[in-house]
Amino acid sequence: MARTRLSSAKGKKGGGTAEKTNTATTTTATKHPLPTESPNPPKVFILPTKATAAARIVTLPNPRYSKPTRYLVCPEAGFFEFTKISAPKTAPRSWLLESASGTVEKPQADEEENPAISSNDGFDVHITKGAELYVASPLDPLFLLLPALAAGAGQESKSTQASKKRLFLFSDDHFDALSRSTNHVSEILTWPDLRLSLELRMAAVCDTVDAGDEQMFRLNESKLLDEILTKARRMAEHAFPKSMEEKFVSKALEAPILGIRSQPTAVPEPDPATAKSREGSSTPVESADSQSTIPSLATSASSLSEASTPATTASSDSAANADSGDVVNAMSAPEEAIKLQRLRVAFNFICSSYIAPSLAELLKSHCVAAKDKVDFGPLDDYLVKLTKMRNDAAAARTSDYSRKRGMDEEEDERAEKRRKKEEEDKVKKANQSRGVKKLAKVNTTGMKKMSDFFKKK
Amino acid sequence: MLQAELERADLLKKVVDAIKDLVQDCNFDCNDSGLALQAMDNSHVALVSMLLQVESFATYRCDRNIALGVNLTSLTKVLRAAQADDRLTLKAEDAPDVLNLLFESSENDRISEYDLKLMDIDQEHLGIPDTEYAATITMPSSEFKRITTDLMAMSESVTIEASKDGVKFSAMGDIGNGSVSLRQHTNVEKEDENVSIQLVEPVSLTFSLKYLVNFCKAAGLSSVVKVCLSNEVPLLVEYNLSGKKGAHSYLRFYLAPKIGDEE
Repeated sequence: MARTRLSSAKGKKGGGTAEKTNTATTTTATKHPLPTESPNPPKVFILPTKATAAARIVTLPNPRYSKPTRYLVCPEAGFFEFTKISAPKTAPRSWLLESASGTVEKPQADEEENPAISSNDGFDVHITKGAELYVASPLDPLFLLLPALAAGAGQESKSTQASKKRLFLFSDDHFDALSRSTNHVSEILTWPDLRLSLELRMAAVCDTVDAGDEQMFRLNESKLLDEILTKARRMAEHAFPKSMEEKFVSKALEAPILGIRSQPTAVPEPDPATAKSREGSSTPVESADSQSTIPSLATSASSLSEASTPATTASSDSAANADSGDVVNAMSAPEEAIKLQRLRVAFNFICSSYIAPSLAELLKSHCVAAKDKVDFGPLDDYLVKLTKMRNDAAAARTSDYSRKRGMDEEEDERAEKRRKKEEEDKVKKANQSRGVKKLAKVNTTGMKKMSDFFKKK
Repeated sequence: MLQAELERADLLKKVVDAIKDLVQDCNFDCNDSGLALQAMDNSHVALVSMLLQVESFATYRCDRNIALGVNLTSLTKVLRAAQADDRLTLKAEDAPDVLNLLFESSENDRISEYDLKLMDIDQEHLGIPDTEYAATITMPSSEFKRITTDLMAMSESVTIEASKDGVKFSAMGDIGNGSVSLRQHTNVEKEDENVSIQLVEPVSLTFSLKYLVNFCKAAGLSSVVKVCLSNEVPLLVEYNLSGKKGAHSYLRFYLAPKIGDEE
């Protein structure tokens, strides 16, 4: 996940350089190691080497959720976002941190994270509670600017009027829209280089007019779409990381299974009723899966802490079958469809990770409309075919297998009960003397029960 | 714990034999006064009540009240391993899982030991009041057994009619009818052969013969049987288990009379 994010933002940063692990300690250690939990435990970061000493960790509004989020900003290297990687709860881990003397950078007095701490003498050995790792990866500042540029875009529906209403504004006005007392936008803007690079990025997606010696900017959605499609294309150029590729590309395009080769007799002879089931026997879960690509992307983006666990767990049986290699799929996706699916996943991923929901909606509808930029036609055709096939398969399955199975289970339960009762009766009978059995046949009409004569104690 | 020693295993063997065809599972209630049992047949029209008082045992110790839930068929199987004149010791913990039975042969030094698994039996206890019966007939147990088996050939039920003339057992069936009449009779030489009828008022009641035949399986326990009848109350058939000693141990059977039209 981290890698994907990195490559999506890589373009404008001039490619990823070799990044070296660099343990920056933003917190201090107590003089005497105490058994109690440190209120400010050390955190482990992987920071880019090209970030200069002037780089700061600052709080900026998150482009999608607009809540304050930490970013690493360097006047030269640009913006970096943090991805938190932590061990799954089921396998808790810790860091054992130790530094050879002299390798620890002296914390500076104006340290953003801990302005109060300036007098720590050294950092010895620490064990952290959780094994979180924060990886800094380059981020296109364009995304950070988008909320300001697109202010009010989504509210007035998808109509193009929204963009018409939007006014040309100076970059300062756009920056002001982002700046809050709770974030550090105004502070980083005092760095001259950074401001220039931000304006450059802004120009990439905006219509501009010159007003005297200054430029004015207005968001152009078409340009923005181009920009994002470029990023998505770059991301989709190669196959995704394996887990992502499997979940979002191969599984989404996977045709229902026709049959399993080792059991050819399982495939029924073609007659009108079974012809449909011949087309495949995938699970109904599958079709839901392909449609949920976008929401699941959103969740995977928002829960990056789970990045260390495999993104997918092959849950449906068809996936398990696919691994065995014995299965015969009804059809295989054409190369073009696979590429387009990748592009779509990449586009959706960027939209759901870095762009506010309202704007993302707008972009998606633009993307569908703009056939000249990207045509998902072949993919859609394939998907329509696939959905039909899956529905047929699901219908075939529910009609002859699952219902029967459901009844079987119920029947099994009943049979189980009956068997148990019979067994109990058998034991009882075995321990019943012949006399008792004979006595049960005696006609007792007209005889009152003993309890009618004798009262209970 | 319970530790009860019987001079002769015979006693328990016969008791169990007598009731095992009537009752399937029952609790032996042990307390410091002895070993008691009360159980009904499956149809709840007959009731067995047994008491073996402390005096019937060679040694008896019971610290706490214990209910021994026993399947009588299983107990019969175990008791089959005992010779009639073996010394029998019953042992059980305070909250027992098993009943330990020890058979010691008097002739040789053979000792057999068995553990019988116990079970939880939910049984209701009925309070049986002392009743003044209209008629109490004492007779040899073998005589009573013979009458019931003989009449069994004729019918399913028997009418017992006690009057000052004597007692008449009569049965009417498909093939005909038959009856046996007894009169008060005293045998000076053999007291066991006596037939005595104590009558408060004449009484006539009908009973299921099958049940009576079943009761008579206890005939081996005592040479004398006491049959008590009264209108509106169950018939009582009692066998005395005390032997020559002064104990008051007994095996009693109660049976509901047949009321209404005969079939």
